Amino acid sequence: MVVGDVTTGTDVLVIGAGPAGYVAAIRAGQLDLDVTLVEKDAYGGTCLNDGCIPSKALITATDVAHEAGNAEEMGIHADPAVDLAGMMGWKDDVVDQLTGGVEKLCKANGVNLLEGTATLSDENTVRVSHSGEGQGSETLEFEHAIVATGSRPIEIPGFEYDDEPVIDSTQALALESVPDSMVIVGAGYIGMELAGVYAKLGTDVTVIEMLDSILPGYDDDLKRPVKQRANDLGIEFHFGYAASEWEQQGDGIRVVAEAPDEAAADGGQTEAVEDDPLELDAEKVLVAVGREPVSDTLELENAGVETDDRGFIQTDSQARSNVEHIFAVGDVAGEPMLAHKGSMEGQVAAEVIAGEPSAIDYQAMPAAVFTEPEIGTVGMSESEAEEAGFETVVGKFPFRASGRALTTGESDGFVKIVADDDQGYVLGAQIVGPEASELIAELGLAIELGATLEDVASTVHTHPTLSEAVMEAAENALGHAIHTLNR
Amino acid sequence: MVREFKLPDVGEGVAEGELVSWLVAEGDTVSEDQPVAEVETDKALVEVPSPVNGTVRELHWEEGEMVPVGDLFVTYDVEGEESEGPSTEEPTASEDERAGEPPGVDSPEEAQASADDEPAGDAGATGAETGEVEPPEDRVFAPPRVRRLAREEGIDLSTLEGSGPGGRITAADVEAAAGGSDTSSESAETETTPEESASDAGADSSSGTADTAASDTETAGAQTTQTTTPTQVESADRDRTLAAPATRKLAEEEGVDIDAVPTDEERDGEPYVTPEAVREYAEAQQRAQEADAEAVSAGEPVGAKGTEFAEGERERREPFKGVRKTIADAMVESKYSAPHVTHHDEVDVTELVEARERLKPRAEEQGIGLTYMPFIMKAVTAALKEYPEMNAVIDEDNEEIVYRDYYNVGIATATDVGLMVPVLEDADRKGLLQLSSEMNELVTKARERSISPGELRGSTFTITNVGGIGGEYATPILNYPESGILAVGEIKRKPRVVTDENGEESIEPRSVMTLSLSFDHRLIDGAVGAQFTNELMEYLENPELLLLE
Repeated sequence: MVVGDVTTGTDVLVIGAGPAGYVAAIRAGQLDLDVTLVEKDAYGGTCLNDGCIPSKALITATDVAHEAGNAEEMGIHADPAVDLAGMMGWKDDVVDQLTGGVEKLCKANGVNLLEGTATLSDENTVRVSHSGEGQGSETLEFEHAIVATGSRPIEIPGFEYDDEPVIDSTQALALESVPDSMVIVGAGYIGMELAGVYAKLGTDVTVIEMLDSILPGYDDDLKRPVKQRANDLGIEFHFGYAASEWEQQGDGIRVVAEAPDEAAADGGQTEAVEDDPLELDAEKVLVAVGREPVSDTLELENAGVETDDRGFIQTDSQARSNVEHIFAVGDVAGEPMLAHKGSMEGQVAAEVIAGEPSAIDYQAMPAAVFTEPEIGTVGMSESEAEEAGFETVVGKFPFRASGRALTTGESDGFVKIVADDDQGYVLGAQIVGPEASELIAELGLAIELGATLEDVASTVHTHPTLSEAVMEAAENALGHAIHTLNR
Repeated sequence: MVREFKLPDVGEGVAEGELVSWLVAEGDTVSEDQPVAEVETDKALVEVPSPVNGTVRELHWEEGEMVPVGDLFVTYDVEGEESEGPSTEEPTASEDERAGEPPGVDSPEEAQASADDEPAGDAGATGAETGEVEPPEDRVFAPPRVRRLAREEGIDLSTLEGSGPGGRITAADVEAAAGGSDTSSESAETETTPEESASDAGADSSSGTADTAASDTETAGAQTTQTTTPTQVESADRDRTLAAPATRKLAEEEGVDIDAVPTDEERDGEPYVTPEAVREYAEAQQRAQEADAEAVSAGEPVGAKGTEFAEGERERREPFKGVRKTIADAMVESKYSAPHVTHHDEVDVTELVEARERLKPRAEEQGIGLTYMPFIMKAVTAALKEYPEMNAVIDEDNEEIVYRDYYNVGIATATDVGLMVPVLEDADRKGLLQLSSEMNELVTKARERSISPGELRGSTFTITNVGGIGGEYATPILNYPESGILAVGEIKRKPRVVTDENGEESIEPRSVMTLSLSFDHRLIDGAVGAQFTNELMEYLENPELLLLE
């Protein structure tokens, strides 16, 4: 690429090299389009650098340490010493390997990589400013653009991430020492995953959540084993409280949380009823209250691309924005903010640009929460299916009835399958338990293919594996599970 | 601006209609109320008018497809109109809310919701402009590969019935739909004369491929159909075949003649057939049959006019649908729901004939052709008033008998496409001339297929005139759920025994008409049926009694 004022051109400009953007770029390259991928920071985006991958690395590493130290039942007596720098180093290696792989894949597929921050000048021109003093900028003309700028952690008033003791999820994945104590604001999936990590590292973790339970949006029966395990790990919860301020307190800080009237009113939890502010002393405060789209740095208005009032770019089923040749994929294009949803949208956008009859028409979007135990969901919950007008039938199989689950020492949770009572089509599934994030994939396939309960139940599953629980849940819905009582 | 027009309710409460033909093409300029399409509902062929002055941007359906009421039908470009105001003809609540807003939607929840509601019309102008196929609204059980194929072929999966297990839609279903829609568009275009349409509106496949082929280039399915020409299977024809008992059993199960299964294998110098050979042959046979069926439904080997057989053709298959199917369903429901009894009698209508002869010129002065039917209708309504159960229906759901104080008489009418029953409302309150002119109008409309579905509904009793064609008696089937139907035969001159004032009997030539009254024996006992007929005969024998009505 030419540096300076010379304008170059590209068929497809992809802004952002996260799992939505790099997938779009690679797919466009595969389809013989001339594609340029602009990234201001690191290939792989939030997912590879600050999200999915590093958090899973730390979750696994802390699990190994924790399990080894708590395996007396299995006759193992150990007190593993955790070298946090070593753990972080291993995590960074994993991240480096993956981001390097993304870069190689892009190049191998003919994607032009361009470092810098993109701002749109008009609907066919982008300006890319290179980072660093005097590095200048360049201008590109494009036929099509795919905006994949992702999202960033939401800041709450009074808790600026620049302040040393206040950290966001990104910083929480790169701490240099294990804090003695930590307040986590927000009991969503990020807060809950990191609460587990630090609790297992020995940090005293306290979680404040404005709503009345962990993991808002998930069914109660899925949350129960997760909450139980969190309690067992010594994580303390305060529901119905919102963090309002923090102050320096000796070596650490004191976080003040208040119960907003409405939260207290319908909080349900007894702790939230009293109006006294909560004062929590800790070494660090991790704010994990959600993520917001990065659509404000692009000057989208210069191209006429509109966003909603939360900053999401509205798209149609071909990932197109209101401007016909500008697409948006991934977190910036709206909920759910999931890497795999972004990747799928990225592929669709590239294929649509190449003239293929592609569309976002999935039947079911899977999601996983890497708490202990894990949660995996796909498709409709029972109540969603009923709202959609289906007569439902539900099958459930508890992991405590699974031989394999018992041999792993993890037998909390269950597999639940929701199907249409009439034809038996699988409509959705929820799993909480060991490897729920992996087990859910089979049911996603079942939903996409229009498989029925009988199809799943009649598919022979390997013994002894956790996947048998999926088969038995389907059998349970049909009234003939072998290893659990049928209703 | 772009105006999206959804198929309106073309009849009273019909759920869908078959698109018989487009009367305009994409790019045509249309004026308001100009017919743009012909749609066939249960019983009538309806012209769908344009709601606007403008240009046809996109026709969303292929001829021959079943179009659900309320589905996007035509997209118009309307000049001079700004983009405010409802974007569609039949706005739903959510559209109304969004209409005045910029394309951006307020919250992601709302965006999600509206995207779920209406994947087709959302996201500003882009969706409509690109004209790509959007995912269907209803949940469709089809795997991703099939969904993609449907997008390629431009098929809306929600309109297909799946042939896979449990109704799942397969790739073959999509391919068949892509091929099928192509051929029926050909047929509709060539449907010009009543003779041709007589065979069946949507489906009569016919000639004219040459001039329509060019217009069908966007339907990629056309090629698909043509490539699936019947698979030729070489059949053997032996007198003797060696095969294991299990193989013979298999052949029997598959419906295959073991002597016809081709084989190269021999045992002891005799041809030997393996189970694999039987299976292969059975499958090949089946494929050939399917291909034949597909070719037939695609209209390939069908004769030039649709009603003729091609040379060498011994059978032809046509889709069982449209008016024919509606008639069939109605007949089955009637015959299997109501136990029918038919009461026959003969009535001397000499005076009626004379009365009509006298009145006929008077009617003609007013431009009305007076037939016997209005007299019969008056006699029927008079008799119905005496025997209200004959004008009643059974409401099975509520287990009630519903008596009606209105007398809407259905007139069974033979048309080119089959039986129709236009309805004369409040026949008891109308004069002979009014009945006559209304009936003539309705019958003409039915025969021309311009009758509206509303004019085919709501009868309380039906009369069918079988006399026009000939015969003495017939056993009519109730126009269910009505309780009675009267078939009247031809008025013939017959010898009758006549008794004069002095009690002298003689044989005289008289005008005689036959009556066949079928009634629902659940509601009406045989005696009542006979008494009703007698009452009717009283009026028909002495038409001056009708003056008292």
